[in-house]
Amino acid sequence: MPILSPGSWSLAIKLPLTITVVVTTVGFMIGAVMVIYDWTRFQDELGEKALLLSESIAITAPRGMLRKDYWSLYLSLKNIAARRAGAGESHEVITAMILDAESLIQAHLQPAENPLGLIFSPTNKLEQELLRDAMRARKPIVLSRGGFSETGFVEGVVPLFTDQKYLGVARVRLSVARLYGKAKGSALIVLLLVFCFVIIGSVLGTVVSRRMVKPLAAVTQGLEAVGRGEMTDFAPVPVKDKDEIGRLSVTFNQIMSELAEKKMLEEEIAMSEKLVALGRITAGVAHEVNNPLAGLLNCIDTLRKHPDDQKLIDRYLPVIDQGLHRIKDIVHNLLVGLKIEESDENVSIEHIDKLQDLITAEIGGRNIEVIWGNRADRDLNIPAKLEQIVFNLLKNALEVLPDGGIIVFDMYQERNFLIIEVSDSGPGIPSSIRNKLFDPFFTTKPNGSGLGLWVVYRLVESLQGIIKVETEKGHGSTFHVAIPVITVKAA
Amino acid sequence: MRLICLFLIFWITPGFAGNPEPPIRFGLTAVILTDNIRFLDKWSQYLEVKMGRKVEFVLRKSYREVMNLLDSGAIDFAWICGYPYVQTRKPEFLKLMTVPVYRGVPSYFSYIIVPHNSPYKRFEDLKGKIFAFSDPDSNSGFLYPLSLLAKKGDNPESFFRQTFFTFNHAETVQAISEQVADGGAVDSYIWESLAAINPEVTEKTRIIKKSPRFGFPPLVSGLRVDANTVRLMKSTLENMNQDVDGKALLARLKLDGFGNYPDSLFNGIRDNAKIVQRINLDVLAVTN
Repeated sequence: MPILSPGSWSLAIKLPLTITVVVTTVGFMIGAVMVIYDWTRFQDELGEKALLLSESIAITAPRGMLRKDYWSLYLSLKNIAARRAGAGESHEVITAMILDAESLIQAHLQPAENPLGLIFSPTNKLEQELLRDAMRARKPIVLSRGGFSETGFVEGVVPLFTDQKYLGVARVRLSVARLYGKAKGSALIVLLLVFCFVIIGSVLGTVVSRRMVKPLAAVTQGLEAVGRGEMTDFAPVPVKDKDEIGRLSVTFNQIMSELAEKKMLEEEIAMSEKLVALGRITAGVAHEVNNPLAGLLNCIDTLRKHPDDQKLIDRYLPVIDQGLHRIKDIVHNLLVGLKIEESDENVSIEHIDKLQDLITAEIGGRNIEVIWGNRADRDLNIPAKLEQIVFNLLKNALEVLPDGGIIVFDMYQERNFLIIEVSDSGPGIPSSIRNKLFDPFFTTKPNGSGLGLWVVYRLVESLQGIIKVETEKGHGSTFHVAIPVITVKAA
Repeated sequence: MRLICLFLIFWITPGFAGNPEPPIRFGLTAVILTDNIRFLDKWSQYLEVKMGRKVEFVLRKSYREVMNLLDSGAIDFAWICGYPYVQTRKPEFLKLMTVPVYRGVPSYFSYIIVPHNSPYKRFEDLKGKIFAFSDPDSNSGFLYPLSLLAKKGDNPESFFRQTFFTFNHAETVQAISEQVADGGAVDSYIWESLAAINPEVTEKTRIIKKSPRFGFPPLVSGLRVDANTVRLMKSTLENMNQDVDGKALLARLKLDGFGNYPDSLFNGIRDNAKIVQRINLDVLAVTN
């Protein structure tokens, strides 16, 4: 699953994704810090307001309590609640009360549930706790419960004194709900801003990273083309900036154009080498054919002058015959070498063994030993061209061998290949001529045409085989030929 | 605060330069709904036109303050409650001028009211509860409930758990409607006026007891005021129902007019005052 392994993702995806993730994380962290800071500040301010309201009540409350002017006390609570309930205020008074030193209600914003003159004794634990804290307070304090939420509240508690005598306490409780709503609104705005920031950041990041990655992708594509060997149709990477990527692109373009030039140069060299080879063949043909021709023409001229001289006829006719055969051989070999056809013709493996007799005949009276080894599968069909290859290699070995020499022929199968090895105990091939070994008309033998090994090379090539020479001066040479045959058998 | 502002306005503006006669000063208490300053301006303008002299209304929180102003001569006339009117003063400093006519008669009631959803049905049910009085010098808002208790030999301190004064009939209604008190005593005229203007407040109250008729809070003149001014003021007020402007003002006051009635109109209040006084003396005697 390539989608699940980020290692295989394109840089064009990874880079913008990384930028987006970073921008989002940073954006939301800043947003969260802002919101939390805002909320803390809001709550602190609300606490101060609650205290301020309690203190405003505490100014007149002692006098009202002493005079039992409960109505004024109630109105003072009512006033702050009414004032704060107005629109646009960030909080509302949930409750407010004035209690005396014995927790007797002197005034309460909810008089129906909290009648005047009774002990304020809440039933729930939270309220009891708050009451205890409030009654213990001997200086203004802020109590808060429920945190920063819909149900949270802060309470300003101010103890009441007259002439240093403790009279009771004024409590004003403000709801956090409205502030919470406001803070939620502002948090939403922050969130929206962060969201916009993230989108803009991501888009910018994507654009920038795309611009950065694009030349890299082009460079990669170019290098892949080099790997496939295509260099000529390479389009240069556009260079926009002078930064590292720009410099990389410039360098890459230079390398690519140089590679293309080199390739073209190589192709030119190959072409000229072909022309050279062609010239050599032509020159070889001219030379090889021309040599016997001069002798032949001489013989014919002499015979024409002495048409009845039987001695001359007996002497010259074999010479003419030999010369013409030589020309015929050359032309035949040339034809074989040049006009190799994609022939599917197969022959039985026994055809190879017949070559042993042929080469024995060639050896004639010379003292040369042939060691024959054919280990290939007996029902294997082999390409007909192989006969010519083996014969030429044997003949080549025979020609270089002095008397008392040994020729070793071996043939076997290895994986999909048929391996042919022809060794001789001859003088070996000097290293200076090793690379010319398969050139046409190259020969070291006085009567050689220089086409035998060239034909071998051409045939092996046409069979998609490989030919290799191992040689050591004074210790003979071995020609290794590997031909893919198993596929042929299957066919 | 509003009252203080108003007070300052009335203090600072007396008499334009060049007006040789000082303005007539008229004290008002919470016997009427005095919140509407524009109405008071119109009324004072009306009286000015009729009397040819500048008239100023002076507002005070309690009846007692108005009485003191009248005693000192700082005001010439005052609209006071029946209870302060019937109290004996030595020396006497005021005189009955005219009595408002409300719904055809110069009388009103005291209402004992409770929150509309409360279980109390009788005045006696309020024993051990919180009770709101209007003004310690008010007949309907204090003397009447006090007389009810006095007749049983009881007093507010022992009968109620908690009492307080609002110094204003309208605020007594508010205190009951908001359940600050379990019961309260108010002027029927104020309660009915509120019911017309602010029904959502009176709807939250329920009348559980209605007093016998009492003489409507009278308008009195200071003894020091010259007879002509008193006569002029009395006739101006008593003739208000004769012209359109006056009728409009009376309609705002929800009154039919002002009339000349004898002092005996206030005998009911006088009797209650006596009962209360006697009981208080008894209480004093017992405690001593």
